[in-house]
Amino acid sequence: MRSLLLDGVSRRVWIALGVTLAVLLIAPLIVNDYLLTILILILYFAYTAQAWNIMMGFAGQLSLGHALYVGLGAYTTAALYVHFGLSPWLGLPVAVIVSALTGACIGFLAFRFRVAGVYFAILTIAFAEFARIGFDHFGWVNGSSGLFLPVANYTQSDLWNLRGKPVMFYYVLLFFTVAALALCHALLRSRAGYFWQAIREDEEAARSLGIDTFRYKMYAVVLSAGMTSVAGVFFAFYYNNLFPEQVFSISRSVELILAPVIGGVGTLIGPIVGAFLLTGLAEVIWEFLNAFGFDPPGAKQVFYGICLLFVVVLLPDGVWPPLSRALGLAERPDAPDDKPEA
Amino acid sequence: MKRHTNMTRRRLLAGAAATTTFLAAPTIVRAQGGALKVGVLLPRSGVQASIGQDCQRGADLSVSLLKSLGYPDITLMNADTETNVDVARTRAEKLIADGAQLLVGAFDSGQSTAIAQVAEQKGIPFVINIAAAPPITEQGYKFVFRNFPTAPMILGDAFANQKELFEAAGAAPKTVVFMHVNDTFGMAMKGGIGAVMPKFNMPYQIVEQISYDPAARDLSVELAKAKATGAEALMVVSRLNDAILLTREMVKQRWSPMAVLSMGPGWYEDQYLKTLGKLADGPLSFVPWFDPNKKLSKQLEAALAKAHPDINLNTNHVYTFEALLVAADAFKRAKSTDPKALADAIRATDITDNVSPGPGIKFDAKGQNDKLKDSAIQNRGGKLVTVAPKVAANAKVEWPMKPYDKR
Repeated sequence: MRSLLLDGVSRRVWIALGVTLAVLLIAPLIVNDYLLTILILILYFAYTAQAWNIMMGFAGQLSLGHALYVGLGAYTTAALYVHFGLSPWLGLPVAVIVSALTGACIGFLAFRFRVAGVYFAILTIAFAEFARIGFDHFGWVNGSSGLFLPVANYTQSDLWNLRGKPVMFYYVLLFFTVAALALCHALLRSRAGYFWQAIREDEEAARSLGIDTFRYKMYAVVLSAGMTSVAGVFFAFYYNNLFPEQVFSISRSVELILAPVIGGVGTLIGPIVGAFLLTGLAEVIWEFLNAFGFDPPGAKQVFYGICLLFVVVLLPDGVWPPLSRALGLAERPDAPDDKPEA
Repeated sequence: MKRHTNMTRRRLLAGAAATTTFLAAPTIVRAQGGALKVGVLLPRSGVQASIGQDCQRGADLSVSLLKSLGYPDITLMNADTETNVDVARTRAEKLIADGAQLLVGAFDSGQSTAIAQVAEQKGIPFVINIAAAPPITEQGYKFVFRNFPTAPMILGDAFANQKELFEAAGAAPKTVVFMHVNDTFGMAMKGGIGAVMPKFNMPYQIVEQISYDPAARDLSVELAKAKATGAEALMVVSRLNDAILLTREMVKQRWSPMAVLSMGPGWYEDQYLKTLGKLADGPLSFVPWFDPNKKLSKQLEAALAKAHPDINLNTNHVYTFEALLVAADAFKRAKSTDPKALADAIRATDITDNVSPGPGIKFDAKGQNDKLKDSAIQNRGGKLVTVAPKVAANAKVEWPMKPYDKR
């Protein structure tokens, strides 16, 4: 396990990661509450992007309904907390199991019946929509009237119940984002990681080499679903209200995949860079327009559109691969073995 | 290979300095002047864009109107929540960081809840313009105030107003067919109606409930089914497009019920009135509205007519204006922009010269104006008249609705 985590990472990358982590660790001491909120959003999208990346970036299975797992994680822990007073840390395993099982159902249906490509993507959207409509009528979680978590003005943070100030949520998310990065790094260099990449590149060829593609695709879906549900726990306890239309909506699913698409699908750092770019730059653009007296509604979405267009046309592999080369963080092309890009 | 780049360290530093100055600029600019800085958070893009922009019209009108009424200056700091709870929270933080001393918004319950938490943590008063979920004012917040009826208040008033209308008309339907959209709003209303209606001992029975997709392009089958029940009146929870479709089907299928009782949007909206012309006349809508007899309502209506001649005054303008009225009134009495002093002043609010129906604006211990009343309005010749409650009415109900084939 240690070699999975440490191998294939150059000293330069370690230094860059260390500096970034150090900056992120001390950030709450320096930045104001507004910037802290932005950082929380960035980490949230960085975490979910990594979870989604396992499925699409590593295993090549396009999911456009990942809001389903965010919603399931959010509703499961929030309902257990509201109805039974169960700590979100105790509700978390339940949420992960519920999401993983749902992911397994979708995966089984799709992979057993050879539903692939865009048809698989449509299936994931369909399940997210089923969940949205189902939760609209699910009285135990107040249906479409919304599930509200009790809140108060906390003077101290209660980590056990995830009740407290934004800075607590920041560190919780930072922990999960770093853990997800370490896990993805290890996975990418594991046997499963190489099998996933083989499936992503050419499933038929992978199968002909003896890889049990069904099993490994199922692993990817289940793991990705379980990880994404953790973000849902955060979502529920940070925003303290859940509406099916808001949590399971297709727009939220699209929002989750923008960071890895912009950053670089299939790369380790790309999704994180994408989250920083999209969230950070959207705020800068908003500031820019406001400073000049422009107040156009939807400027951020327009920016997203332009950004996507830019990436699709000029950087089809995302921002991170060329950026990593420019910063000297990419592995050299003449490296002895063909290891995946950091 | 040598890397060619135009980016030198000096240029990078110069760029960073320029960006920092640029980012700080709004704060510097906004810190000047003695007006109350009100952060207005509305969903001006995304799914709720049209409603958010409508609310914004109400906010924009308020600045000069409030000044003409003798209230102190207020400066609006507008922010778009993009119909997104994450953005709503971020924007609230940003507005406060930029110097907002009071927040107003955000049309939607989810977004308002997210903003409420920020406001409470920062000790900045937040006046909700529109959001009906009861839990928002049940959390024990000290800085959150709502001048809008909760969902149970809206439904309760709807049935009370119906009974008042039946009494005034001397007739009531014995049977109604209930048609509703099957989206989140429609299903919530269906559940609410089922829970609240038995408490009002209504003179009619719901003979059938018919749900449909709000995005449906054809509602002929659903309307034929409704007509076949033989119900005397049609109760609806709909949106704009399906309200137009249903009306056209009623004309086509020659069904003129005694009344159309709408418990939601659609049937009173400007687009409905413009699209259907004289066929739009007659439906009754039970909504949070304004009291047309109040002096301030007339002034607000005139201000809107001047700024937007094609738009009728509606809920969005009224309650956004009143949220800013609460802010300006508190500022006037507090004589301070200190958020705590403003919150204390809002708690002591007692405005009788207002726009919404009811005795005025006064908040209970939870920060809710529980004295608000909702209205019954009827479409008449491209305009909207208020027919109930009696104290806020400016016309008598036209009952039964004029048959479509006799217009």
